Amino acid sequence: MWVSLVLFFLLVAFAYVDVGSIAIGSNKYNLSLIRLNKAIAYSVAILGLQVVVGYTGQIALGQSFFFGTGAYISAWLVADYSWPFLLTLVIVIPSCFLIGMILGLPALRIRGLYLALLTLGLAALFPTIVKLDSLYKYTGGAGGKLTTNKITGSQYKFAPPSWLPLDEIAQALQKIPLLGGYFGDGPLSNREESRMWKFILFSLVASLCFWLISNLIKSKPGRAMRAVRDNETSAAVSGVNLAMTKTISFGIASALGGIGGMIYVAEVGIASPDDFSSLVAIYLIVGLVVGGVGTLSGAVIGGLVYALIPDWASSTQSISFVPQRWLQGPTGSLILGLLLIVLTLFMPGGISTAAKKVKNRFVTIQSRANEE
Amino acid sequence: MTPYDERTWGADMDLFLQRLFDALTNGSTYALIAVAMVLIFKATTLINFAQGEQAMLGAFIVLQLWKWGIPMWGAVVIGMVFSGILAACLERTFIRKFDPADHLPLVIITLGLFLVINAVAAIIWRFDPLSFPQLFPSGRAVTIGNARLSWYSIFAFGSCLLVLFVLQTLLTKTKIGLAFRAVSSNLESSRLCGIKIGQTLQFGWALAAAAGTLGASIYAANPVLQIEPTIMLRALIFSITAAALGGLDSLWGALIGGLTIGFVQSVVVQYIPFIPNEMTLAAAVVVLLIVLTFRPSGFLGTKTVERV
Amino acid sequence: MTDALLKVQELTATYGQIEVLHGINFEVRPQEIVVILGANGAGKTTALRALSGMVQTTGSANFNGSEITNLEPDAIVRKGVAHVPQGRGTFPELSVEENLKVGAFIRSDNEIKTDMESCYETYPVLYERRMQSAGSLSGGEQQMLAVSRALMSKPILLLLDEPSLGLAPQIVEGLFERFVTMNQELGTTMLIVEQNAQIALAMADRGYVLESGEIAVEGEASLLVNDDAIRRAYLGG
Repeated sequence: MWVSLVLFFLLVAFAYVDVGSIAIGSNKYNLSLIRLNKAIAYSVAILGLQVVVGYTGQIALGQSFFFGTGAYISAWLVADYSWPFLLTLVIVIPSCFLIGMILGLPALRIRGLYLALLTLGLAALFPTIVKLDSLYKYTGGAGGKLTTNKITGSQYKFAPPSWLPLDEIAQALQKIPLLGGYFGDGPLSNREESRMWKFILFSLVASLCFWLISNLIKSKPGRAMRAVRDNETSAAVSGVNLAMTKTISFGIASALGGIGGMIYVAEVGIASPDDFSSLVAIYLIVGLVVGGVGTLSGAVIGGLVYALIPDWASSTQSISFVPQRWLQGPTGSLILGLLLIVLTLFMPGGISTAAKKVKNRFVTIQSRANEE
Repeated sequence: MTPYDERTWGADMDLFLQRLFDALTNGSTYALIAVAMVLIFKATTLINFAQGEQAMLGAFIVLQLWKWGIPMWGAVVIGMVFSGILAACLERTFIRKFDPADHLPLVIITLGLFLVINAVAAIIWRFDPLSFPQLFPSGRAVTIGNARLSWYSIFAFGSCLLVLFVLQTLLTKTKIGLAFRAVSSNLESSRLCGIKIGQTLQFGWALAAAAGTLGASIYAANPVLQIEPTIMLRALIFSITAAALGGLDSLWGALIGGLTIGFVQSVVVQYIPFIPNEMTLAAAVVVLLIVLTFRPSGFLGTKTVERV
Repeated sequence: MTDALLKVQELTATYGQIEVLHGINFEVRPQEIVVILGANGAGKTTALRALSGMVQTTGSANFNGSEITNLEPDAIVRKGVAHVPQGRGTFPELSVEENLKVGAFIRSDNEIKTDMESCYETYPVLYERRMQSAGSLSGGEQQMLAVSRALMSKPILLLLDEPSLGLAPQIVEGLFERFVTMNQELGTTMLIVEQNAQIALAMADRGYVLESGEIAVEGEASLLVNDDAIRRAYLGG
């Protein structure tokens, strides 16, 4: 299962490193690795939401706060101290974990709607914090923080290690009859190689996060979280430490948000305040709900939806019978909002649960057919 | 410059008064949106995150009607009725089928409405700011030293009081108002008294949306502001904080909360040197945090707010 | 034998997946006082809630010639069934007078004022406190208010859920005496759920004993008082 997933990822990497767009009518839709890297970033952040909302049942919605915190810390270390991106996680993870735990402390007293209120307030606060004059040195104010190295003035480069024969693989794939065309033409350029290496690295980081969380969920602390979600009183009576469980789940969620932020800023190259507004917090919730609250695979689906749908919606500049003026508006936001409502009304488990149901039905039909 | 320099003192005083007047203006508009949230919270213990956007949409409709030649106050009334009907439909379609005790789906639905309404308004009216008709006489009413209290501020505050009185009367003197209060007091007994819960809550939604539309219209009519689809985003946080400060289920608490937030924003923050100007939003969130943590019932709320 | 005002047949009630009533049969005749006895968790409260349309049911409950199991709670109230829930069910934030007005919510006649005055006559203490919030009343006063509120809808059948719960014995006695007078003067039929079997059987015409969601014993109240099994289980020897 995991092996096939990794192989799939690699194939995607080779296929979409360069071309990555499909045209339908006169509209062009990007599929490039840039989008997919963003999707990975969002997926990890949504995974954090899964932990705190999906598994612990705390309506904490301000994930953009930690997404931004991770992005800014990472950008700052890379630009000002010439750290490599992955190494910044050494700082990003503990600091986001701590901030999350501290900001989660009020949640020990506040819950339900009030927590939703407060966390969305925090999310709204983030852009104003990083725009503060006193933090300008570190955050770059309203203009944002470039990840360009301060001293050398160059971008951090994701160079694949020399032992990895990316070029050879690409060429080999191109030789496959019929399908070869999908994998581009000729040797990979430096830019393509580095983009691909980025994608591979980020996929690895994300897979590691997903693997760790899936183990956590099955472990004792994970059971404690679900107990808190299902019934706090009975969880407390059965010896679950409510305060500890909640605080830790806030910490983990925030750390994941920070990791997502690191990936995001490594892809985009700049951390700018408006990329981490409360609207982003809401979009991440869309990702959570669309994929399915309380499912790990839902986080992947959610990340893809968030990375692709608004982008595709704004790429759609002409549909017959729809005035062009309408298509120029925030159609992505409209679609995400509608998805949120429609899924909550008709498919409360999200896409991932619905897919499981379809699969189960298929499997039962199959087995019944076999029995007969 | 000595502390006894009279001219400086006078200027300081003027500045203080001016800030106080600003507080009144902002506080009144926050209070109007807060009242709308309180109405819905009272009945359903639900915080409607789309409240601000519903109000914004209502204000755009008012603007559109005015552009079509309807006198402005007529436009405001029609806009209020329209958003009331829209809210009643939203309640019926999206809210009623959910268990009020299960907060997550309701939060998600109202966030979805938030996105959809915002996008629809931006698709129809674009993000360009448009100027809103003057609802009140322009110019200054009172000048004290260099501090100016505009007619706008006075009328904004006055409308806020008026709305509260009208709502108060509606809720205490009419049958549907009594039913609404009964539902918010004891849902089960209300059903046993023959009250149709769904319709009563629908009435609450309509009322809230109408009040919100008036609030947003007044907010947008501020001579220093223009209307755009994002106009209520910032105001929403201040209004939510105002509502929480007042106790979330108290109408008059919303007014006090609104004025307090206006005061914190326009006066307190200005006098604390280490808080930069842009941090008024932070001040609001911090106030929200403190209130929810230490006194969830706010100034005037009933003490049944959920706790662990 | 007269026709039953309320005839319940094979009534079941479920909360989620759990069936609490397993098909019970009973009837209440016009102007009777009927009591349902039973221990905690026997399903007494559920039986009343089922009649008011507050829980999922199957089976039938025929009230005054029409089926009520498929009706919404508010429609059942309009048919003439008033329900005083366990724990009084007053509106604590509303004043005493407003509580009574909510009780008369389904009515639009001109008699509301007169009926309210007769409530005040019955319970002068409510008149004294009519402007106070219901939440500030004592337990006994709240129960008076709850019963008065239910009567404000001019019910044909009054459902009372453990009216004695949490009240001092003297107060309970006064309360139940009022029930008997009300029954005689207004002709209100009553179905009372009680744990206090002694006082309930003393005023009732007939009684049923509910055990684990099924009717175990039924009969004339005067006979039930002397039934050995009931004496042991509910009357303390």
